[in-house]
Amino acid sequence: MIFTIFKSWMNKFQTQRLVIVLLLCGILWLVNLSLGSVHIPLKSLLGRIVGNSFPHSSWEIIWMEYRLPKSLTVLLAGIGLSLSGLQMQTFFRNPLAGPYVLGISSGAGLGVALLTMAGTAFGWQILDNPGNSWSLVAGASAGAMGVLVLMGLAAWKVKDSMTLLIVGLMFGSATSSVITLLAYFSAAEELKLFTIWSMGNLGNTGWNDLGYLAGAVVLGLIPALVAIKSYNAMLLGETYAVSMGINFQKLRWTMILSTGILTGSITAFCGPIAFIGIAVPHLARLLFRTQSHSVLFPATAGVGVLILLACDTISQLPGMATSLPINAVTTAFGAPLIIWMIMKRSFSEEF
Amino acid sequence: MKNPENKPENNEGFVRASDLELGYRSGTETQRVASGVSFSLFRKELTCLMGPNGVGKSTLLKAIMHQHPPLKGEVWLGNAPASHLSEKERAKRVAVVLTEKIPTGLLTVRDLVALGRIPHTGWWGQLSPVDQAKINEVMALTSISHLAHKTVSALSDGQRQTALIARALAQDSPIMVLDEPTAHLDLSNRFEIMYLLRDLARKASKAILVVTHDLEVALETADKLWLMDARQPLLTGSPEDLMISGGIQRLVPGQKWRVDAASGKIIRNTTPLPCQIEGPELLVGWLKNALRKNPELSLPDAIYLTENPFAIRATFSQNHRHFNSISEMIGYLQNQLKTGKFFLK
Repeated sequence: MIFTIFKSWMNKFQTQRLVIVLLLCGILWLVNLSLGSVHIPLKSLLGRIVGNSFPHSSWEIIWMEYRLPKSLTVLLAGIGLSLSGLQMQTFFRNPLAGPYVLGISSGAGLGVALLTMAGTAFGWQILDNPGNSWSLVAGASAGAMGVLVLMGLAAWKVKDSMTLLIVGLMFGSATSSVITLLAYFSAAEELKLFTIWSMGNLGNTGWNDLGYLAGAVVLGLIPALVAIKSYNAMLLGETYAVSMGINFQKLRWTMILSTGILTGSITAFCGPIAFIGIAVPHLARLLFRTQSHSVLFPATAGVGVLILLACDTISQLPGMATSLPINAVTTAFGAPLIIWMIMKRSFSEEF
Repeated sequence: MKNPENKPENNEGFVRASDLELGYRSGTETQRVASGVSFSLFRKELTCLMGPNGVGKSTLLKAIMHQHPPLKGEVWLGNAPASHLSEKERAKRVAVVLTEKIPTGLLTVRDLVALGRIPHTGWWGQLSPVDQAKINEVMALTSISHLAHKTVSALSDGQRQTALIARALAQDSPIMVLDEPTAHLDLSNRFEIMYLLRDLARKASKAILVVTHDLEVALETADKLWLMDARQPLLTGSPEDLMISGGIQRLVPGQKWRVDAASGKIIRNTTPLPCQIEGPELLVGWLKNALRKNPELSLPDAIYLTENPFAIRATFSQNHRHFNSISEMIGYLQNQLKTGKFFLK
């Protein structure tokens, strides 16, 4: 069934790989739901999915209130971040580009920092309860959108994509310096709140939040999907793309909007999640041995979900009461993986 | 040709412009590169655009591609001015091969050629059977079908250039513009590529414009030459006519160099050699070539060349000497020069 759908634009090898990735995603999703501080046996889990109830009522709470929404957050974040990274890498023709190069995460960070730490630093009290998760989301969204608007203005002014990349990095540095200042003057408790936010957290999204996040991710994916052909044309560089009838300015806005909405919303709800956005597109290229975006889009999304699910499963520390910050896991397990893959193949040649 | 409807097009040229002003506009400043540029580019013809660096050849190309529209005037692509066409319509009329290095990576040759179909496919970029057939056709036309599944990074420079030409062909546009397609290629590939382009112009009825610095290949293959230099607008004509009229000399501004009408080569302007040389014409030509490269030598009074076996007899004021090769003679003369200098000291 899947094969017949995909056959028209993928070869057999790629279809097989995609089916394997999706199967692994399914298996890992079950493992992710099953493992953790409280172990839910696979058998009961499968029974619950089919419609039976759990033997313990506490499992139902863990499943409904925590693990299921978290695993869905992983799904959305994995797709959104890795597809943002893919778009950035193709658009900037730079293997080091990632979803955060335009300063989105720093903007979101600044928003959260202002909320959590400006109270003591400047004597402002923006919200009564800065620790509230909704206010964090609001702060991060405002910050991400602020940077997005600034980047839009910059993109309007500068026409060269390398300049745009540098402007994005500079925005990131500038906002980081403000965050540093705020951190320096803030109280220890507030600092800890901010630090924990910056470590990323996939488990903070309840069902309501999940609805908003899903809406935002779908909204961010639409412009990206419409631009698949333009991204393929960008493989030969900007001048060739334009010569093939691609409206480069339109593509630029598509890229800024799509990656802005995707990474902005994900960062707002989960904090800045490191590594996924840069590494997953490379993994997808290596695994599927192609540059064509009609293959790379589903491939990158699948691999993104797979990797983030794996990282999240590890961070739950099966059998222990606590869980690790997700960024510690993505970086600690992801970086060596990428180094290994890069060493094994001629990476820059295949980009 | 017999079709009367084709006539006006053939007389006017498929791409045409009159009195263009080329240049760049950045902010309030305008930088004019060339003005008074008029041309007609015809279908079924290979045209070479030549001229020294910096006279605006690339700017002219970009004006035709509409990436830097002219400051004044319009470039007509077929029946419409370039500025009136949408990006997609322009892409269906002009395909390009650029000098910039393409990021290679995992792209296979077939994928690369398939990218040329972009202006013709839907939003998803899905290739229809018509697109597939076109891709197969242009790969056969450029004889790269056997490379279809190789990655672009595994190709030689000549193959890569051919693949890029195939991509441009797949775009199915009546106009093709190539920026120095023979740079970095070896001697025979330069000719291969240009003959391929000449062939394509005829077979596929394309108007092909090639920027090149390669006079030898251009004279051999081009139907028309467009010569550009800093002072005057474009001079156009067949290479042979330009050669005879001396218009070709615009390629080498200044007094130091000239295009030799006999050989079609660029040579240094030198005063005639103060030495009488006799022998078969071919041998005399190459000996002169060697002597021109070494203008500091004091030459013998006369040189006689004989072939089968090759021999040189040089007559000096007091004596004469025999040499078996040109380099032997040059070596002897250089030695004379050194010892001469020594005596002068």
